[in-house]
Formats: sequence, C-alpha cells, structure tokens
Amino acid sequence: MSDKDYQSDGDDNFDENDSQNEEDRLQILEADEVAAGGGENDEFAVGKKKQATERITSSFMTKYEKARVLGTRALQISKNAPLMIQPLPGECDPYKLAERELNERRIPFIIRRYLPDGTYEDWKLSELTY
Amino acid sequence: MDQPSQPQRGGPLDLRMGISERGKNCETCKKALADCPGHFGYVKLELPVFHVGYFKHSVNILQVVCKECSNVLLENPDKIKFIKQMRSKTDPHQKLAIWKTIITQCKKVKKCPHCEAHNGTVKKMPNFPTRIIHDKYKGAKGTDQDELIQDFAHVFTLNNNIESSLRSSYEELDPQKVYNIFQRIKDEDVVIFYMDQNLCKPIDMLITHIPVPPVPIRPSVAVSSSTTNEDDLTVKMAEIIQLNNLIKISIDEGLAPNKLIEDWILLQYTIAQYFNSETPGLPHNLLGNKQIRALSQRLKGKHGRFRQNLSGKRVDFTGRTVISPDPNCGIDEVMIPIYIAKNLTFPERVNQYNIEKLRNLVRIGPDVHPGANYVESLDGNKVLLQYANRRKTAEELQIGDIVERHLENGDVVLFNRQPSLHRVSIMAHKARVMPSRTLRFNECVCTPYNADFDGDEMNIHLPQSEEARAEARILMDVKQNLLIPRSGEPLIAPTQDFLTSSYLITQKDFFLNRNEFMRICAYFWDANERIEIPPPTIYKPVELWTGKQIFNVLLRPNRKSNVYVNTVVKERNYTGQGEHMCPNDGWVIFQNSELICGNLCKTTMGSGSKTGLFYSLQRDNSVEVAAQCMLRVAKFSARWISNYGMSIGISDVTPFEVLIQEKQKLLDAGYVNCDKLIDQYKKGDLVLKAGCNPEQTLESYLNGELSKIRDKAGEILKSKLPKHNSPLIMAICGSKGSNINLCQMIALVGQQTVNGQRMPNGFFDRSLPHFEPYSKYPASKGFVKNSFYTGLTATEFFFHTIGGREGLVDTAVKTAETGYMQRRLMKALEDLSVKYDDTVRTSTEHVIQFQYGDDGLDPMFMDDNSLPVSLKRLMIMIKENTKQTSKVINEDVLLPFQVVEFKNKIKENCPVKNVSLKFIEQLKDFIQTIINQIAKQRKDLGLKDGLNQIPTLQELKNERKDKVVQKLLRNFTFLTQSQLDDFSTLVWLKYRRAQIQPGEAVGAVAAQSIGEPGTQMTLKTFHFAGVASMNVTLGVPRIKEIINATKEISTPIITARLVNDVDLISARIVKGRIEKTILGDIAKYIKEVYTPRGCFLEVKLDLKAITALKLELTINEVKTAILKTPKIKVKEKNIEIFDERKLHIQPFDTTRDNMYFSMQQLKNMLPSVSVKGIPTVLRAVISKQEQDQAKHLLLVEGYGLKEVMSTPGIDFRYTKSNHVIETEQVLGIEAARQTIINEIQYTMQSHGMNIDPRHIQLLADIMTFKGQVLGITRFGVSKMKNSTLMLASFEMTTDHLYDSAVHCKKDDITGVSECIIMGNLIPIGTGLFKVVYDETLQKEEQPGLLISNENENEDLIFDGINDVIENQKMLIDS
Repeated sequence: MSDKDYQSDGDDNFDENDSQNEEDRLQILEADEVAAGGGENDEFAVGKKKQATERITSSFMTKYEKARVLGTRALQISKNAPLMIQPLPGECDPYKLAERELNERRIPFIIRRYLPDGTYEDWKLSELTY
Repeated sequence: MDQPSQPQRGGPLDLRMGISERGKNCETCKKALADCPGHFGYVKLELPVFHVGYFKHSVNILQVVCKECSNVLLENPDKIKFIKQMRSKTDPHQKLAIWKTIITQCKKVKKCPHCEAHNGTVKKMPNFPTRIIHDKYKGAKGTDQDELIQDFAHVFTLNNNIESSLRSSYEELDPQKVYNIFQRIKDEDVVIFYMDQNLCKPIDMLITHIPVPPVPIRPSVAVSSSTTNEDDLTVKMAEIIQLNNLIKISIDEGLAPNKLIEDWILLQYTIAQYFNSETPGLPHNLLGNKQIRALSQRLKGKHGRFRQNLSGKRVDFTGRTVISPDPNCGIDEVMIPIYIAKNLTFPERVNQYNIEKLRNLVRIGPDVHPGANYVESLDGNKVLLQYANRRKTAEELQIGDIVERHLENGDVVLFNRQPSLHRVSIMAHKARVMPSRTLRFNECVCTPYNADFDGDEMNIHLPQSEEARAEARILMDVKQNLLIPRSGEPLIAPTQDFLTSSYLITQKDFFLNRNEFMRICAYFWDANERIEIPPPTIYKPVELWTGKQIFNVLLRPNRKSNVYVNTVVKERNYTGQGEHMCPNDGWVIFQNSELICGNLCKTTMGSGSKTGLFYSLQRDNSVEVAAQCMLRVAKFSARWISNYGMSIGISDVTPFEVLIQEKQKLLDAGYVNCDKLIDQYKKGDLVLKAGCNPEQTLESYLNGELSKIRDKAGEILKSKLPKHNSPLIMAICGSKGSNINLCQMIALVGQQTVNGQRMPNGFFDRSLPHFEPYSKYPASKGFVKNSFYTGLTATEFFFHTIGGREGLVDTAVKTAETGYMQRRLMKALEDLSVKYDDTVRTSTEHVIQFQYGDDGLDPMFMDDNSLPVSLKRLMIMIKENTKQTSKVINEDVLLPFQVVEFKNKIKENCPVKNVSLKFIEQLKDFIQTIINQIAKQRKDLGLKDGLNQIPTLQELKNERKDKVVQKLLRNFTFLTQSQLDDFSTLVWLKYRRAQIQPGEAVGAVAAQSIGEPGTQMTLKTFHFAGVASMNVTLGVPRIKEIINATKEISTPIITARLVNDVDLISARIVKGRIEKTILGDIAKYIKEVYTPRGCFLEVKLDLKAITALKLELTINEVKTAILKTPKIKVKEKNIEIFDERKLHIQPFDTTRDNMYFSMQQLKNMLPSVSVKGIPTVLRAVISKQEQDQAKHLLLVEGYGLKEVMSTPGIDFRYTKSNHVIETEQVLGIEAARQTIINEIQYTMQSHGMNIDPRHIQLLADIMTFKGQVLGITRFGVSKMKNSTLMLASFEMTTDHLYDSAVHCKKDDITGVSECIIMGNLIPIGTGLFKVVYDETLQKEEQPGLLISNENENEDLIFDGINDVIENQKMLIDS
C-alpha cells in the first residue's frame, strides 16, 4: 500500500481523474504566472484561480459536498484504496469507513467550487466545517 | 423487389444500408444484425423541392431578397448597420428580433435598390402547402406592368380577355427558381438572414438530395415466410423514388410540361409527408386512411423520441409490487420480499475488507437469500453462479473482481410511488429482507407518497454504485425528509390509528396498574435500552400510572437519555379558555420531555403543524430521535389498540332520543324561515344583497339557512354523543372523519350542491319531475333531511348522487389539468439553482435572484412566523434545561440594562455571514420584550427596574441577601449571563443551519411546491370577496390563469381605497363615477312621439334615481354621452334638451321610407348607451375593509385599473388589481411581480394550503426577469430559455429543431433537460463542484476535531443544555 499504488489505483478508477490532472497542471501554470506577474492590480488578467485569501464562499460544507465526498471516497475504498484510518475489526462497509475518515478529517480531497464568473475556489476538507 | 427474399439494389431496402432480418449480413460492413449499425444512403432528386421545416424561413428570405439579382432589398448603409447588429449580438432572442425588423423593413421595398427590379410580397400559396407566390407588382403603378404585358402581346391577339386577369396575376416561385435565387446570394449577406455562411446558407434549405435512413431504424416485419410489413418510412421512400424516376423520364423524354409539374408537386407533397405526416394542407387522397409515423412524428409528443427515450429511460434493478402497512418497520426502512431481494443485485467490488464476506456469498449462490448471482472477474469474464462451480469460483475470487450479490439488509433502496409530484415521492429507505410477497413500510410514511393500502403498488430501485448509495443516503433518506420543503411543516408523522390510541391513552381518566404499565412499555421497546419506570401517580390503595406517563417513558426512557422536548400546543379540542385547566384537556404541555397535561391529538402528534411534538423533537433534538419516537408510537399503538378494541357498529350511528327531537326542531325552524324567505321573494319585498338580483339573493339566503341546520346538528352531536362513541373519538382526535361525516351518518345528510348552488333544474323549471314547477322549497332543491342511518328517500338519493358525481368529475378533470401545469412549471424552473456566490441563476448564468428569497434562507428550515429560529421556544428550552444547574444557580441574575448591552451588540457579535437585517430586527424585538418583562417584574417587586433607574451596588447586595426577593426574581423571567450566551450561540447555530446551501435546486423545489398542492385542490372554484356576490375565481383555474399570464381572466377585480373611506355617501359618489351606468337604468321612460311636424324619441330621466345613486349627472352630459356612442349616428342638431329631465332625439333618417325603422333602431339602442362611468367596468361594490370595519373600500369588477386610479375620490396609492397583465401595463413589471406573488398566495391560502413565500417569489421572478410578464406556456418558456434540446423536449419539438438548424444555434448542454438527454452530470447539487485529490494531507498532522468528544458529564439529569448544543452541532452533519 505505498503511495504509488494509491495513485495508480485512483487513476484507473476515478472518473474525473483525467480532467483533474489537466486542471492540476493548469493550476500550477497559473500559479507560476501569478508569481511572475507578481499581480496585485491585474488579478483578472492573470488567471482564473482566485487566491485563497479572497475566497468568498462559506466555510461550511454543504450537504451536497458531503454526499459527493463520501460517495467518491466510498467508491475508492470499495476499490481497495488504502485507508487513512485504522479499520475496526469486521468493519467492511465502504460508506461507513468513508464516514469515519471524514469525521477524523482524513479524506485527502479538495473541493473545487466553481463560481458563476468562471473562477473557482479550492477548499481543502480540513478547512471546511461540517 | 423482384424476389421476396432479395431486396432490390438501389431500392429503399438496399442491403448496403444495413439489414433488419436475422441470418443476413450487411453488404457494407459485413456484420450481422446485432452488430451492424446501418448506413445512410441518398437519392438525388431530379428537381429541387422545398423542405417543409424550412419553408417559412425560405419564404422570409425570399421576401428580403431581390428575386432578380439576389441582393438584399436594403440600401447599403442599412445593410451594413444590420450586419453589424447581427454580429455584435449573441443572444438568440435579440438576433431573432433584428431578423424580424429586417423582414418588415424589406416588405416595404417595392424596387430593388441594386437592380431596380420590381419586388412585391412573397407568401405561401393558399391551400397549397409547398408552393410560393410572388406578387411582383404589388403597389406598383399600372404602367410598371407594361413590360410584362408586352411579353404577352401575341397572346392578346388570340384572346382579349387575358389582359385584365394578367394584371392581377402572381408569379410562382417554384423550387428551381428559388434554388437559382438562393444560389446567387452573396456569402457576406448570409449573416443578415440570421444564418451562418459556413454552416447553413439559404441554399441548404432546399432539398436536392434526400437522405435514406439506415434500414435498422425502419425494420421490415416478416408476417409470413413470403410477405413482410414495411415501415411507413420505407413505404414513403419507395414512393419518393418512384416519383423521382417518373420525373426523370419526363425530363429525359421531353414529355408534356404540365404532367412534369404535376409529378413535381406530388413529389413535394410526398417528401413533405415523409418529414411530417401532419403537414397542414396536404390533399386528402394522399393522406390515405391512417396517418403515417413520419420522421417528425417519431420525435414529437409524449411517446416521441424526446420524451419517451431521451428524457426518461427504462432502468434495470427495479422491483414493483403491492404495498402493505407494517407498524414494526422503522420509519426509514422498507421490507422487501426475498423473491425481489434475490433478483436485485448490487455489484460489489472485492477488496481486502470484504473478500471473505463475498466468498461466502458466492458459495451460497443464487438460490438462497443472502447469496450472489454473478461474478465478473477483472479480465471481464462474467460467471453465472447458477451453473458454475461455486466453491472454486469463491476460492479464485480476487481483489478487483465484481460480485453481483443479492440485496441484503441495510442496503439503500429508492422507494417510489407514482405520480411522483414532489421530491418526497422518491425517498431512500434501508432495506430489510423479509419473507412475504409485498413491500411493507411504516404507515407514518404514507403521506409523502400519498399511498394507501387498497391495492397500491410501489417501485423500488437499487442504486448500483457506492456514489449513488452515498448520495441517496445523505440527500434522499426518509429521515432527512421528515419536513416538507414546501412549508417546513412535518410531513411524516403518526396517522389514523396511531392518533386514536395516543388520544385514548392520554385521557384524564385513564389509569394503568403496574402490570399494564410494564406491558405497554415493553410494547414499544426492542429490549435494547434501559427503561426507568417513573414513580406511579397514585400510590394507594393500588399503584396506578396515568396513560400520559407512557409518553414520558416513550420520549425519555432513562436519565441518561438526552431527549428534551418543551412545547405547548393548543389541541383541536381545546375549549379556548383556562389553558391547562381546559375541561377537554386540550392544552398540551411538554416540559422537559414530560407530558404535563393535555390529551394528544392530531395537532400534537400529526403532520402539518409547527408546534407539534415531532416537530420540536427533530428541531431541538435530532431527526434520529424523532424517527425513533415515531416508531415507538407506531409499535405501541398497533399492539395496544388491537388489544383495547376500537370498532364501529350500528349502535354508534343510531340517533338518540334527544337528537331526534332537536333535529326535528331545527328542521321545523329552518323550514319556516325558508318559507318566509320564499314568500318575501314572491311578493318582491326581499331585501336585496349588494349587486344581486332577487333570485341570487334568495338562493344565497336559503343556502345559508339550510347549511346552518346541518352545522347546528353537528354541534349537538359533538356535545351530546357519549364519549366512548368511536366515530366521535376519531373525529375529535383527527384520525379519521370529521364532524360532517358524523352528522351525515347520524343526524342528516344536508344540502346537496352543484357548483356551490342548490340543485339545478334538470327538467323544465324543476329539478326532478317529482316536484311542482318553480318550486324553491328545500326538499325540491336538494336538501336531504334524512341521515344515512334513517335512509334516503328516492329523490334525496338522486340528489345525493348528483352531488357525488360532481366530485368525481372534478377530480378526473383536475388531475389532467394539474399534471400538465406541473410539467410546465417544472420545465420553466428546473434549471434554477443557488450558486456559490449565493445568487439564484439559470443554467445559462442569468441571475434570477441576487439572494434566494431576499434572505438566503431555506424554506424547509423555517420555524414559526417564517423565522429561521423560534426564539420563544428556544428561550424556553434553554431556561428549562438550565434552571437547576449549579452554574446558573450560582450566577447573578442579569439586570435589564445588561441585557440591553447585549441587544445593542447583536449585529457586531454576529458570527454568521449574510444575516438578513430583518432577522436582526426581530431578534432585537424579542430581546426587548424580555428586557421589558424583567424590568416590569423588578418594578412590581418594588425594586429599581434596572432600565431607567439603575440600582447602586449596595442595593444589589441587599437584593442578593434577601432570600424572598431572590426567589421571586428567579421565579419566572430571570436571565443569567450563561443562559444569554447559550441563547446567542444556539440562535446563530440554527440560523447558519437554515441558510440555503449552494447547489440547492430551488427551482425544482418551487415548481413542486406550487404544482403538488394543485392536485390536492378540490372543488370550491369560487369564493366571495368581502360582501356577497363578488365572485373570485379560485382553485386550479385561478392558478392556471396566473401562471399562464392570461390576458383575459374570468374575474378581474380592482380593489380601490377611497380618499374618504369613512363616509358612505362619498363612497357612493365615487362608486357612481366608476360604475358603468346605462341610459336604461336612469331613464323613466323612452317613448316614441309622432307629431305632424315630425317625430322624435322622448327620454325622461329619473332624477330621483339619479340622486339616490349619487350620480353626478346632468342632462347635458347625457346628451354628449349619446353623441359619443358609436354607430348611433345621431347628430348634435338632432338632440334637443326639452327641460332638465327630458330629451328629444330625432332619428337620423327621416325619409318617408326609413323613418319608422330608424326610430325603432334608435329606440333599441338608446337604453344601452353608457352615460356615466368607465365602460370596461361591469359593476362596483362598496365593501368594508377587513382590518377596520368602519372603513370602506371599493371593489370594482372589470378592467380599467388606470381609469379607476385616476378617478377623483380614489386613493390611487392603495389601488390594485388582481389582473397581472393589466398591472404590468399600468404599474410596471415590479408591480406585476408582486401581484403574481399575492394572487398565488391568496389562492393557495383560501384552500388552506400553506406555501413558503420564497417558492412563489421564485416563480414570480422567473415570470418577470425578462422585463415583461412571460407565462409558463410554450411561448413564454421559449422566451426564457435558449437551449434547443430543452425546448424540443418540452413542446413544439420539430419547430425548435428546424429553427435551430436554420439559425445554426449552439447548445452548451448546461441545463437539466439537456444533460439528461446527453447523459451528462447535471451542474446542480453534487454536480456544482469538483473533487480534487489533496496531496498535502498525508504530510500534515491529523487536525483536531471540531466537535470534541470530551463530553462526559457528571451531572446526569440537569445539564441538558450541553447535550442540546451538542445535538444541534451534530445536526449540521445531517
């Protein structure tokens, strides 16, 4: 259960992985651009990603986010992803495991919230209240 | 087709286009039936033809273009202007508007500005669906046609008559001509036609080659070995090919041109029919007996491709069977027959945690219940376990394999009953596999599904992935849907028997001994928790417990349980005085989960009330607790009442002696009154009701009199029936039946009505032939004085069936109507959702609301008075829970000024973002009332109140020392700092919870919240506004009017405030100014006068009537009114004012022949001349204001809001109409929006339907956000939305598709319908955001939990507040 296993497993099974990787790359690119421009005044020109300091959405996790996160994590667990917690003996329901991971804040997800103006905000699960 | 087995090459069934028969192979791809997708072919047409779908647009383009040089009929500057406009706009609606102005502008052009050629109007040839005519010389001078006439010069020599008809002749633009014209159109002009030069040019709208669809979409059906039935499309295609060949022969061999043209037209018709067999105007001989299923018909309508196959699909893993009740079944459970469980499978992937469990299931196999049906290994092999070596398969099971295991206990299933009118019609239940043949669930969950057990069937679906399961579990779980999002009232609650038993056992005289009490406690327990039996209420002579104590145990079984309920309910049998001393025991108090007093009926236990037990259980505790308690009630009730015995027999409905006498008295008195009224009516001295004629007045009086009889009989029953009477018990506690049902069974059935009126006359002047003509007596108009017990007479029985039939017809008609309304609402609102910036937008990002409902709160979480938190209940709860904790006891009581400090800082200290100012105000008001209470209490105790006079430190010390004062201060309205802090924490916690969450599909919820109650609305189409006789349409028809934005509504009413609303006389004067008065009303007579000098009509005004009606009318005004009347043809000189009350009017035609007739005509017209008032107003009624009976207002029936508002004496600021469109025209779009909201809310409320205003606001917003009122109809919706797929799946499928093709529209597939059609994820709810892998997490340390588990309390009983706060925090999770 090394990290590498986990990654490849995720790649095969996780529906949005392709687009995600692409976006991750974009994200890095944009971050570079921001660094290069040093942009204060041209935040619109630089890129689409908003800086974390000016995130406007609520720090509470919506029920939809919770459902999606648990669903996605349960799917991963059902596909034999390594757990981030110690399973209790006999515990095998992926949903229950995911729920426990969420309660212990061990799900390695970022929620990417899209705003109507085309920008998005990234929220780590650890930053959200639920 | 030469041989039946071998289709002709080049024919419509050419094997190269695919096959539709087993055993053959496609000639193109060589594949067999199952694999060959089919291949398109084409037929080259000898002559071009019009395409029916693009026909209209073709005509429009021909209108815009010069028929000689194909240039646009515009001067260059204009042309450039339009091209620029077209290019700059992106909104399809705006582009369409530009295109329309271009068409109208070009219609005016007579001569082409480029080549000087004549151009006239182009239109479709009447009665020919595919032919175009061009009136080339329309509006041109006669000389312009000379060139045409020159051409025909030689013809005139043969026939002279031709010239005149030639001048009125049209030019036909046949497809070939049009083809040539379109071909010459320059590429740069194409954009003007709202087309695209690269994708769709005008020439593409003509058919030169017709595609032949692949054979598999039009398969032949073999009837016998030699004959086949061909698909309609194949048949038509064969005809087309045949005709095309005929034309080819005609052209090649040069046959007679008229034959060629005939064939050509026939070809056009056939092709038109091939596209759309319902093309209007096709000749009947072509249509044949049956309409064929052409291409258009395959897409259109309910069973077309769009609605049947694209928007909805058949799914696997479902089950359906009869449902039955089971009170032992958990609220969120459903019991599933083993048979179904073995057929529904879940594909569980083998992983390290479940491999042993799955191996076991594989070994068991498909025949025994917890088993498995298939195993799919990683390489894609699927093993059917029925015949496989199961032991071996199980051993070889690897991580990553998929086992299709049986449905097992605890699986999440979706449970559904049609019609699925709102979201709670599909909920997620936990499965419990049981040996039975029906689906069983707890009766409490009947309401959301609207199910009963008279043979209803329901469906279950088993979600097939972990993601689907998780979503179902979190979002659709029954426990998450205990409240209805329509109003936030509880929906899932005990019903029927559960209510009856709760009522019976909580009676004041109900006692249980130890054995009984223990047994009942055991009834609702699963032996999994500790029960602490409360001390008995009566110790001696025997230990006795009350039934109410059962509920104490039920709610809070032991001291460790942290269930806290505090609520006060006025039960339905509350007498209205005495509170807890109510003789009916109707005042229910739960204090610290203890039932202090009151019997439990529907208001406390049932659905639909925000004060009830289960409402506060889930608001102040948790949904789990509420569900648990509900199950306990169900278990207790089912067991206890079947032992107690609750039955109904003939003795229950036998009227007792007193009743018979009382009823007779009532009947006699009522009949006497009716006779009196009828006598008065006959004599003509009945006092008329405002705006009613004698018949209407009599009917309304009689109806009132007769319905009184039944009401009174009902009251007698309620008070005189013995307490143990079963129907009475059920009526009182609200489990089933009402007073009316009681009354109809025991006393009398009462007046039967149709349309709110007494029985209509089905025979000449009488309702039934058993009665005298014109009889108005109760019995002859449908009054039933017998009860169901005594039995109805023949006529009564007949009347009763008539009344019953009305109800049946009404429901039948209404279901169809509301169903369609629901569909339209849904289509209009489906794609609205709350985005992450808290705005409500459509899928195209059009803003509908900047903040949902102006405060961003979720209707589902509204506590009382549409506050997100019930402040009063919260305060009571905090006080109850803390009042004996050591912390509070040792704390000082706050002085009012200290609370004021808190109050003033509410806004600054608020931890929640986007709090509505209104709520802060309400919170401040609430705190202020508490401050006042404390201050008053202090004053009453003779202390300084602490608000205006602040006590000194010394005084406070003294206070603290004085034990009596302390006790008094702490008695009722005291408050300490910790309590205030708790209050503040909880308020904001609850407020935060009530805020709407981004992703919420608010549109869909609003559509359901308005549509679903529509189906429940019964009868009662009319309602009297204010005084009698001012009818207002209500019910489904009214909702329909508002939603459709109908131009002409059936009862337009303007409510006008008067400047002087106290004085009745001045009100009458204003009424006179508004109400339309005709000459006939105020004339004493109109008579013909014939004198030797001439003749005239003499009109004498009834001055008395004029003054009585307070009309400001002079004879001169009458004269001008007559002159103004259209068609009356009377000139000024013809009217002579004889004196102040007489007018002489001469007829306009005094010739000998016509004089008499014109006199008569005039005499007929004069009485209807409108002399005063607003002509569009039918009548006006003075009414009293609802709030202040001393003040008057004017109700005006009819149109003319503007005129009424500008009438002197009317206060225009407070004058409004119930007509949405008129309000829009007069007062603007915002006023129209408000009218929509008010009218829908009013209609719903008069049917007892409670809908959160936010839903209605959203509907009003979507109807008005475009700046004009758009109805939720096919036209309105197509103006609101841009997506072609969505519009095509709504209505007018093919029109939208053709339109989009012509205009090269793009659909970005963001809405709900489009995404469903394409199979995409919907960008609403869980689809609004993305989940990305967080690489950083593993490096970080595990962050601490927000909710700490350090909650081990020493003080067991009374530190509940911490529990409650914890509970609330946990609730955020759920």
